[in-house]
Amino acid sequence: MRSRNGNFPFLFTSLALITTLALKADNYYIGYRLTAKNAQPINETLSISKAMQPCIASNNSPSLILKCTPNERLESVLQREENNFLEFASSQELHIQSNDIVGVSHTQLLNSLTLPTKCYAVEFNDESVTITATK
Amino acid sequence: MRISALLALLFTIPALHAGFLSPDEPESKVKCVYSGTDGHCVEPILKSQNEIVITVVGQGVAPSVTASPAQAYALAKRAAMVDGYRLIAEKVKGVEVEGQDTIKNMMLMQSTTRTSVEALVRGANITNTTFKEGLCEVEMEISLSYSRVLR
Repeated sequence: MRSRNGNFPFLFTSLALITTLALKADNYYIGYRLTAKNAQPINETLSISKAMQPCIASNNSPSLILKCTPNERLESVLQREENNFLEFASSQELHIQSNDIVGVSHTQLLNSLTLPTKCYAVEFNDESVTITATK
Repeated sequence: MRISALLALLFTIPALHAGFLSPDEPESKVKCVYSGTDGHCVEPILKSQNEIVITVVGQGVAPSVTASPAQAYALAKRAAMVDGYRLIAEKVKGVEVEGQDTIKNMMLMQSTTRTSVEALVRGANITNTTFKEGLCEVEMEISLSYSRVLR
């Protein structure tokens, strides 16, 4: 027989799982990094990983609705609609790091933009997918 | 002694009049943090009643080798976005500037200036995008207010 304290994490996880299943939303961790040298992009990385544990969504989180075909994976949706997703995600929070070196003979501008890896609730419908930022 | 006390009193009265005794300035008047060489207001102060909107234009260029014009546009826009965010960070947070000059035999051999910016930006939006002759310009704005800063 479990103690009262021992049951709490089990109950909490079960409730979170049931809530997630009830909302029919999967959770994904998405991160992005872009490096531009002399105003030209040189490296771009979009990382998508399915969350192993459900994330807790807040009530007034912003959402993005993208078109998708039936049985399409999130990776291919985001590759196609990358601009829309980046505008949506970057309007919330991003990290910018910039280093410029200006000399007599050469000039180098190096900018790096990073979207912190964050959990998103992703709900697939028939012809659209709703991506909601969670905290 | 009396003369010096009288002089001190005479100097104190205008100072009191300009400072403590004068009524508060109207809120609509913009104060300057510092002024440029021409005396114009450079940086407005953020107050609890109003909000400051900062607008920047970021520029980006597509790589010389791309698979299609659409890819060139997408990549140039990304670079322009990064530039725009850098400009926002520069305006809001400031720039670290480091200069280094190397002098040998009383002659300048090398001169380098490094600038760096690092910031976490929240709530910036793209308002306009133009793409012409390989150059993409992204107009971005961020609104600063007490409620956003303290969020």
